Amino acid sequence: MNVIEATHLVKTYNPDTIPVKAVNDISLEIKEGEFTAIVGPSGSGKTTLLNMVGGLDTPTEGNVIVNGVEINQLSPSELTDFRMHNIGFVFQSYNLIPVMTAKENIEFIMLLQKADKKHRDERADDLMEKMGISETSRRRPAELSGGQQQRVAVARALASKPKFILADEPTANLDSQSTESLLDIMAKMNAEENVTFIFSTHDQRVIDKAKRVITIVDGKIASDETK
Amino acid sequence: MILSLSWKNIWRSRKRSLVVIGAIIIGVWALIFMIAFYNSFGTAFARNAVNYEHSHLQIHHPDYLVEPDIASQVSDEENIVQAIASDPMVKAFSGRQKVNGMIASSKTSAGVQIYGVNTRSESTTTSLKDHLVEGTYFNKIKRNPVLISAKLADKLRVKIRSKIVLTFQDIDGNITSASCRVEGIFESKSPKINEGVIYLKKADLNRLVGVDGINELAILLHTNEQIDVMKQKLEAITKNTVRTYKQVAPEFNLMEESSVITKQILTVIIMLALLFGIVNTMLMAVLERTKEIGMLRSVGMHRHSIFSMIMLETLLMGLLAGPIGLTMGFLTIAWLGDEGLDLSLYSDALKEYGFDAIFYPEIQNSTYPVLMTVVMVTAFIGAIYPAIKAVRLNPLETIRKL
Repeated sequence: MNVIEATHLVKTYNPDTIPVKAVNDISLEIKEGEFTAIVGPSGSGKTTLLNMVGGLDTPTEGNVIVNGVEINQLSPSELTDFRMHNIGFVFQSYNLIPVMTAKENIEFIMLLQKADKKHRDERADDLMEKMGISETSRRRPAELSGGQQQRVAVARALASKPKFILADEPTANLDSQSTESLLDIMAKMNAEENVTFIFSTHDQRVIDKAKRVITIVDGKIASDETK
Repeated sequence: MILSLSWKNIWRSRKRSLVVIGAIIIGVWALIFMIAFYNSFGTAFARNAVNYEHSHLQIHHPDYLVEPDIASQVSDEENIVQAIASDPMVKAFSGRQKVNGMIASSKTSAGVQIYGVNTRSESTTTSLKDHLVEGTYFNKIKRNPVLISAKLADKLRVKIRSKIVLTFQDIDGNITSASCRVEGIFESKSPKINEGVIYLKKADLNRLVGVDGINELAILLHTNEQIDVMKQKLEAITKNTVRTYKQVAPEFNLMEESSVITKQILTVIIMLALLFGIVNTMLMAVLERTKEIGMLRSVGMHRHSIFSMIMLETLLMGLLAGPIGLTMGFLTIAWLGDEGLDLSLYSDALKEYGFDAIFYPEIQNSTYPVLMTVVMVTAFIGAIYPAIKAVRLNPLETIRKL
């Protein structure tokens, strides 16, 4: 089953002055349970592509269908709700809420979804255990290492059981040990819980772990390999 | 959830939040102090005017209000006096004969208002006897003794036992002169009385003008709250006009109105200063968190929730600081209300206006909830712009990349 269907996506910046096509007619499908890395040099358009797939940016042309819903047709408010229920985000710089503990950060999206306390507790505890960060539950982000923060960020993204997770350079700020550990956890979640991951990355270790690698050059798909 | 997040956000930058909270506390405290201080001026002004000049109520013949003529005597004096003498609300009363005239010494002359008074009742009503600074109170000089103010004595260059001549119209309209001697010199707390009032015995003045009665009856009550009730009572038993001290002296209303306006202006100035402080701080708080707000929007937080979060942060600071400021203000006023605020440094200037050097700041309890509301409204208004700024942030621009 396709989680994402993007057809003829085009994103043009400065259409009225000096038009720049960041994404130039990309079509792709992502199936449930895929572990996909989108790679390419800086400025190739991979982040723009992920932004459009994640409903954060609107394409100049083309459509994005997520789980059967054409997200470009949604109102801003509907799109916000859609992101909350269907898409998990992992940011390069973690972007945890500094005034909340690790567990509260993980529970945050479930709170937005108005999940009951028991469910939130159970889900957060379960994810922290799987991520190996149970002992950090009461600590704030400033008290965690980069690797621990990124694990909390991944747990937060997973907490609401989204259709897929978009992770932009998730290992860019991590040392090699933390990177290995994080990738192992994500690979395990992918294998055991069939969570769909889409990475934008330069990191060879991420590329090595990925089951599918899409290379983008100059806004176009240069190659699409499934291992 | 929003409430909890807002509360935690307040303490994210502890110093900055404490500055805002401190500013609100000091603003509220200063406002309470200023209002209470202004109130004490008003109260002192009214108290002096009531206790030493007008009393709470005055009764005149209706014609006296049109033309303050000696012929307009209070009618039915005996019945009124009988009624008020036994009324528990009445603390003291004094019947007077008031005429306008001239006072002349060997050196100079001046226009004055001559009060013919019952020496005993005037002393209990306006504390006249207590204000003597020199001489005696109508008990040494037998023929036409007068009491004049120190200011007037200075102006006329007279002293105790000096001879002065009073000139005024009698009941028939003839100009009459009377030779009098200064028996006492007083310093009233009423600037008007110090300026141009002299006291004669009522019997002497009545003999000189050819009447037998009074053209003013001043009534001092135990409390201000009794004024309306007593006024109604008196109006029921007499056809004379009964007026409150505020009706007798319209400057009270002017002073009250100007006091209200001054307090409102003060409130606006202090709240405007707070408003700019709040806007500035909250704007900094929002701009500092653009990336985080972008993340919140990305993961599914609605604009209205972001708006509520920023609004709540500000309102919570107001809710925290407001009661502290009010309590500090309350305690300060409670203390100064007992101890008094000593302005001896300015006593000469204050004396000119009939004020004592010590003021007792006071504030009505109903002012506190009003001030709390004003603080919350200010916080609310101050939060709107930063909150709008926060919801207008484009999540894509703020996080740049996913």
